[in-house]
Amino acid sequence: MRLGRVVGSVWGAKHADGLDGAKLLVVEDGRGGRVTAIDRLGAGEGDRVLVAHGTRVRDLTVGETVALKDVIIAIVDGVDAP
Amino acid sequence: MILGRVVGEVWATKKHAALDGRKLLVIEPYLWYAPSHEVAHLVAVDAVGAGVGEDVVVCMGDPARRSLGTTSMPIEAAVCAIVDKIELAADRGARPLTFVGGTAPAHEAV
Repeated sequence: MRLGRVVGSVWGAKHADGLDGAKLLVVEDGRGGRVTAIDRLGAGEGDRVLVAHGTRVRDLTVGETVALKDVIIAIVDGVDAP
Repeated sequence: MILGRVVGEVWATKKHAALDGRKLLVIEPYLWYAPSHEVAHLVAVDAVGAGVGEDVVVCMGDPARRSLGTTSMPIEAAVCAIVDKIELAADRGARPLTFVGGTAPAHEAV
């Protein structure tokens, strides 16, 4: 899993069937890397989030018909880093 | 599996239900083996009671879920060992010695 911050969202009128009604957010990892992840937790722009990647992660969270492998699995309140 | 150091802990109220009660640790992978890990940090679920500042072994993918005794957690990294000592081969100089967090701690020198 990786930490990131939501910097935007993606809309597409024409999309794969599994993405109907899906909320897609652009998450930046703080080093310029960006990934588009599906959100079911209600994250918004500016939120810090935890993104998990993989087929199994996708199957367990949003279902196997979704054509995307990055999923937001937590909205981060804070990080303790002494 | 990858080797790294615990540098932080993540707090999250809103999260996938399977993560309830689990400790999420921020890991900085060591980069002195090749190929180096692709990211500067990753977040792993704690399975062994690791704390900030400790060197740990992180397993990735399906074994990570299994090390937590489940196959139904939407995660891909778990801390599965706390490192007591690391010994590096004499030819380690041939590999990148860059650490994400600065120079190598003294106890890693062989």
